[in-house]
Amino acid sequence: MKKLLSALLTVPMVLALAGCQGEKPAEEPVEEGGEGKVFHIYAWNEEFKGFFEKYYTVPEGVEVVWTIVPSDNGQYQDALDLALLNQDSAAADDKIDMFLAESDYIVKYTNTDYTQDIKQLGVTNFSNTYPYTVEAASDANGVVKGVSFQCCPAGMLYRKSIAEAVLGTSDPEEIQAMVSDWDKFDAVAAQMKDAGYLMTASFAETFRVFSNNTESAWVDADNNLVIDPAIQTWMDQAEKFIENGYTLTSGVWDAETTAEMGKDGKAFCYFGPAWYYNFCMGPAFGEDAVKEGTDTVGDWALIAGPQAYFWGGTWLLAATGSDNPTMLADVMDTFINNEDVVTALIANEAQFTNNKKVNQKFADDPDFGNPYLDGQNDTAVFNAMADNITFRNHTIYDQLCNEGLQDKFSEYLKGEVDKETAMANFYTFLNEKYPAVHTPE
Amino acid sequence: MAESRRIKHRKTVSYAKWAYIFIIPFFISYIIFTLVPQLLTIYNSFFENYMNGLQQIGPNFVGLANYKALLSPGQSGTIDLLKYFGNTMALWILGAVPQFLIALMLAVIFTSARLNIKGQGLAKAIIYMPNLIMASAFSMLIFALFSKVGPINKYLVASGIIEQSFDFLTVKVSVRSLIALLNFLMWFGNTTIVLMAGIMGIDQSLFESAEIDGSNSIQVFFDITLPLLMPIMSYALITSLIGGIQMFDVPQVLTNGRGTPNLTSTTVIMMLNNFLSGSKNYGRAGAVSVLLFIVTGILSTIVYRMLAKQYKD
Repeated sequence: MKKLLSALLTVPMVLALAGCQGEKPAEEPVEEGGEGKVFHIYAWNEEFKGFFEKYYTVPEGVEVVWTIVPSDNGQYQDALDLALLNQDSAAADDKIDMFLAESDYIVKYTNTDYTQDIKQLGVTNFSNTYPYTVEAASDANGVVKGVSFQCCPAGMLYRKSIAEAVLGTSDPEEIQAMVSDWDKFDAVAAQMKDAGYLMTASFAETFRVFSNNTESAWVDADNNLVIDPAIQTWMDQAEKFIENGYTLTSGVWDAETTAEMGKDGKAFCYFGPAWYYNFCMGPAFGEDAVKEGTDTVGDWALIAGPQAYFWGGTWLLAATGSDNPTMLADVMDTFINNEDVVTALIANEAQFTNNKKVNQKFADDPDFGNPYLDGQNDTAVFNAMADNITFRNHTIYDQLCNEGLQDKFSEYLKGEVDKETAMANFYTFLNEKYPAVHTPE
Repeated sequence: MAESRRIKHRKTVSYAKWAYIFIIPFFISYIIFTLVPQLLTIYNSFFENYMNGLQQIGPNFVGLANYKALLSPGQSGTIDLLKYFGNTMALWILGAVPQFLIALMLAVIFTSARLNIKGQGLAKAIIYMPNLIMASAFSMLIFALFSKVGPINKYLVASGIIEQSFDFLTVKVSVRSLIALLNFLMWFGNTTIVLMAGIMGIDQSLFESAEIDGSNSIQVFFDITLPLLMPIMSYALITSLIGGIQMFDVPQVLTNGRGTPNLTSTTVIMMLNNFLSGSKNYGRAGAVSVLLFIVTGILSTIVYRMLAKQYKD
């Protein structure tokens, strides 16, 4: 009897330890159309969530669940991969319906069966979207797996007061003429330095301009790492800029770099698309800065800069196995084709959207302007660049190649290591993260 | 006849079986959660097994290739694993030396019958407190305090101690010191409590007779407290060493996973984490774990032998 009792006591103890993941019954109430009750979205920040909550009317009875994981160091991709690999075995309501991806790693997902053909779901109208956004969301056979709600041509933003003080003018056309190629850009940098200013506030400020204009992808068909001549040019420029004191050794997202955007900031220019200056320039335009009077609202202007490029962009991809296909298609269609929503994205949210027709309307509107840029019509500036963007030379390894090189190279620029060591550390980093990629011996 | 056999049987009833029954849950959970994963790790270390994007590569049996790759020189000509192991040990020693010295001092003071310090309970709670904060949260705090635009730099510049703000997180000495400081702050309270328990376990009459014989407190400490504390001390040192070898969260968070500068604050477990996050390289990560297991075993044996020998003599 006692033996039995002790055995009975032991079993639950072990079970309690071992059996924490009980199977949950996957039964869930299904709507009339057969769609799930939960719409699950994976994202790496709150940007799209804000637009979605404001402008998308969720069908009655559907709950939208967000999983947000920051993208630093590949964390978002790791979390997303894990969820996608378990997609088949997940309960219907736990399955990912839609996930967001950036240009740095979108090909990792479009070229797999984890994403599905959105044309079959009913998203068929691409007449107003920019071709590169569709190309980016397509697999190697041209099957479209998602849409982007924004188009991300990027330009150069400069401080008008600094331009006035050093270059004698702040007129966008004149400034554009002064920095229309990299040699001229260097010459202006020297002028800035002589006047006690910085050209940029980060050694990596121009990185995306060069990395978006490479002749080859980061990793070639034989899985060898390739340091493109454009990347090499950027490294040379960064080295020269640090040597001459034209810029700082901090990264583009570091507090030290963004601090130079404020009233006492010394940096002449920053590089980025619409999402950059509207959302990532807190010390220049943020509420706190405005409250404290350290903001620089209206002291900026946007120009094309030395070389055309695009940076980032958020794509909405359709996950295979979604139990809300109708809503999924509707969300995608809304953010590219619903003119009311797209208009609101420009008028209220300062986006450059993925709808040519609406963009054009704003570009032609003489009364439209961005208050951060003192009323300059930034949509018109971007509109002139957007048609020429191509999506090429992207691999599944881009994010960590881009981040890793900037990180490791910055150690050289700070004087912590020599150049060879910096590159060796970059290769070591890639070897640890991507076993399939061969780095130079 | 039957009666006598029954009596004999009763005489050999052993209550030890209850002890065995009571420790069954531990062994079952040990087997499930520790032994099996350990054996699987060893097994996995002989395979090529990782994700390339969302595509699974392997598992293919590759023999000792993972070990060979880990133990051959990398791009920079050094064996990365050895470099990281050296970092790990340096970081542990930097934190452990002050940790044990201070803990020993506090333990002696708190347990001294002669001093009979007031408010001991509060003091013990306070020194133990840092251990309750999550290491990553603690690291974030230090990161914010010591960043180039953080309050420490602002204060140092404002008070004229340094001219320009100093980037604590890009200089080997300062990064390592900060990591050591964090580990020290987090663990000295714990060590103090363990050592106090050890000291209180020593027969009080020994202290009394030493006092009557006229020995001063330094003699008492070196001739009575320290030798009799050795078993607990060796336990505390070995657990600290094992914890030190597995150091991860503090340097990971403080350097944002980069182990800057020049990978001098990258620990072995940070390398393991690099293998596992993203590409889920179970083969290579398994090999790191196995090597670490062997090294931990050897080091623990050495430390134990050293201290236990002293104690036996």
